[in-house]
Amino acid sequence: MTLNLNKKIINILIIFFLGIQLTIYIYNQKPLTENFSQKKITVENFSSIVLSKSGINKIGSEKLNKIDEDNIFLEGNSYLENKDYKIYGKNISINLSKEISNSDDPVEVINSMGTLKGKGFKNLDYDGKIIFKGEVNFVINK
Amino acid sequence: MSSINKYLFFFIYLIFFPNAYSESFVKAGDSLIWDSENKSYTALGDVEFKNDKFIAFSDKMLAYYKEEKNEEIFTKIELFDNVIIKFNDEIFKGDYAIYTRKDNIIKLTGNVSIESPSRLLTGNELIADIDNNKRILNSGNKDSLVEVLLENNAKD
Repeated sequence: MTLNLNKKIINILIIFFLGIQLTIYIYNQKPLTENFSQKKITVENFSSIVLSKSGINKIGSEKLNKIDEDNIFLEGNSYLENKDYKIYGKNISINLSKEISNSDDPVEVINSMGTLKGKGFKNLDYDGKIIFKGEVNFVINK
Repeated sequence: MSSINKYLFFFIYLIFFPNAYSESFVKAGDSLIWDSENKSYTALGDVEFKNDKFIAFSDKMLAYYKEEKNEEIFTKIELFDNVIIKFNDEIFKGDYAIYTRKDNIIKLTGNVSIESPSRLLTGNELIADIDNNKRILNSGNKDSLVEVLLENNAKD
């Protein structure tokens, strides 16, 4: 009789703990779903890989702000990198669907020809063109 | 102490001066466009270009490059409007210039002049063969070719 009672208590405890684990699991999943459904997302010290027509791009920033489905804003010190160049700048806007990125802040670009410093840029990635605005100084490797 | 300073200055000079002198660059006042599809750079506004051969100034520059051993190398440079090219003690001027790297030839057209310490020549077209140290100055007709001999201190 006592043995049966003990078994029942153990079974109840097992079911109770399984219930708690299930609750914890569901509770942990919930915030993730909420974040992805939000329109604005901010991530600090962010770096990621983006696949575009021109190839794989690596992007990173002190703070990434998702504006909407197509637009992100890299706040503070940021970079864009692919097989052809590394762009180091500040406050870079990226339109993912149009494959355009731009900034009005000073920028430094390193490519296989040399190091370029400009006052801002507009990168038309789909067209393979980068327009550097204002005074530009491009030091060519020997 | 002063001799140490002299040695230090000489040492710094040896390190930095050759690098500063041989630095190649492109400077633009308004903008620069890197077109990786057409492999070119377009510079606009008070353009300055320097390589190991000459230094050039113009309003616009279009430079074509090729990729070689993971490096980009300029192959052809076009300069537009108010072109001034300084090569050793010579100054070439014109409306348009094209430089090709493979043969090291600079060709200038439109209101061309070539100025050296002793003479000034003007015409319509100048071909400067850098490797063979040859200059060919052409004109539309014989009358338009002008040669001016400058005295050594005439510019001072």
